[in-house]
Amino acid sequence: MISMNKVSKHYGSFQVLSDCSTQVEKGEVIVVCGPSGSGKSTLIKCVNGLEPFQSGEIIVNGVSVGDPKTDLAKLRSTVGMVFQNFELFPHMRIVENLCIAQVKVLGRSPDEARAKASSLLERVGLSEQAGKYPGQLSGGQQQRVAIARALAMDPICMLFDEPTSALDPEMVNEVLDVMTELAQEGMTMMCVTHEMGFAKRVATRVIFMDQGRIVEDDSKDAFFEAARSERAQQFLAKILHH
Amino acid sequence: MHEFDWSSIPGAWPFLWDGMVISLQITITAILVGIVWGTLLALMRLSSIKPLAWFAAAYVNLFRAVPLVMVLLWFFLIVPTLLESLLGLPRGSDVRLASAITGFALFEAAYYSEIIRAGIQSVSKGQMAAASALGMTYGQSMRLVVLPQAFRNMIPLLLTQGIILFQDTSLVYVSALADFFGAAYKVGDRDGRLVELLLFAGAVYFVICFSASRIVRHYQNKMKVA
Repeated sequence: MISMNKVSKHYGSFQVLSDCSTQVEKGEVIVVCGPSGSGKSTLIKCVNGLEPFQSGEIIVNGVSVGDPKTDLAKLRSTVGMVFQNFELFPHMRIVENLCIAQVKVLGRSPDEARAKASSLLERVGLSEQAGKYPGQLSGGQQQRVAIARALAMDPICMLFDEPTSALDPEMVNEVLDVMTELAQEGMTMMCVTHEMGFAKRVATRVIFMDQGRIVEDDSKDAFFEAARSERAQQFLAKILHH
Repeated sequence: MHEFDWSSIPGAWPFLWDGMVISLQITITAILVGIVWGTLLALMRLSSIKPLAWFAAAYVNLFRAVPLVMVLLWFFLIVPTLLESLLGLPRGSDVRLASAITGFALFEAAYYSEIIRAGIQSVSKGQMAAASALGMTYGQSMRLVVLPQAFRNMIPLLLTQGIILFQDTSLVYVSALADFFGAAYKVGDRDGRLVELLLFAGAVYFVICFSASRIVRHYQNKMKVA
């Protein structure tokens, strides 16, 4: 479904990504982790072309992301993305947040979009909030709305960029629960996250990055039981032991 | 000691009112055209297409670096001939109002574009990313997501600029157009009561602008609470 081949990116002389290659099959849940500044957010933003890259190739569902002839807007409408800071549209009600792209991008009728929005809001447990504005919701609720907004487009896969990092600790689980459910339903997911509990529970594979390189790309069990690189072992020791 | 004599004002009221209508006409048209053209200039200036960005930057810098009264004179001298030849009007038609409005609108657009550019930049980059990630084109993301927020943040500044614009309409006296200020001046000159008429005109400008800026302030405070 997603294939990356020797993807590299630099800002001036600073190398953000070096020769990153990996494959994501349909239904897989990939957790991308690593120390801050390791390039993991940049890597998943390359998948839907939000970040341009200078060399290498990314193919999503048969479409080359880096090809200048690709209709990026169309590709992005098939790939859901959830951001660290939610990025709901503050001037629209929750239900409008879920409908706008369905109507303007997919060309669905307002009624159809509304029906889809209600069923997704119910699924993330926020039907009551449909008429409110994002500013009236808690962080956890906003992030669940953001997930529902991405799902409203019927994406073929979902990208999560540190979805719980901006949340108060007591709200992390409500978001992880929605993500876990999604993973169990067979959604293809790439998640940048430090939530190792979530990784252990639902990941099929773990990618560990350091200094712009993919250092480990292993099945979950192999990663947690016997990370090969010293860097990954240090990282795990730091975040698991407290 | 000067003896004030206000008696010429009531009789001149219809003429002064016509002047006020002209002032408001210029203000409102210039605000509307200025905001639309200013938005386009702001988008050009932020665009990644270099020639567009250069054009907008040159336009804004040019208009912001010359006095308004000079721009009005240019338009007073150039636009009538241009309109006459474009629309096939007879020579010497009175297009002073049209040229004044054109001059104001083009001049104010330069100021509006800077306000709107700041407004666009005040919207977090993540909003654009989120709109793009949903498959919206650049145009859709701007129109549906970024600009509505930018305008909302900028409403007080846009209105304040409108108040300044209303005061500046008095500069059309250079083209002998009878706006409110021009009308007051003419009446005062005719009746030998210039001081009274100009004091009266000043009071009217003050009342309108002061109440308008109070309303803006009130709106601003309300926005802070929301």
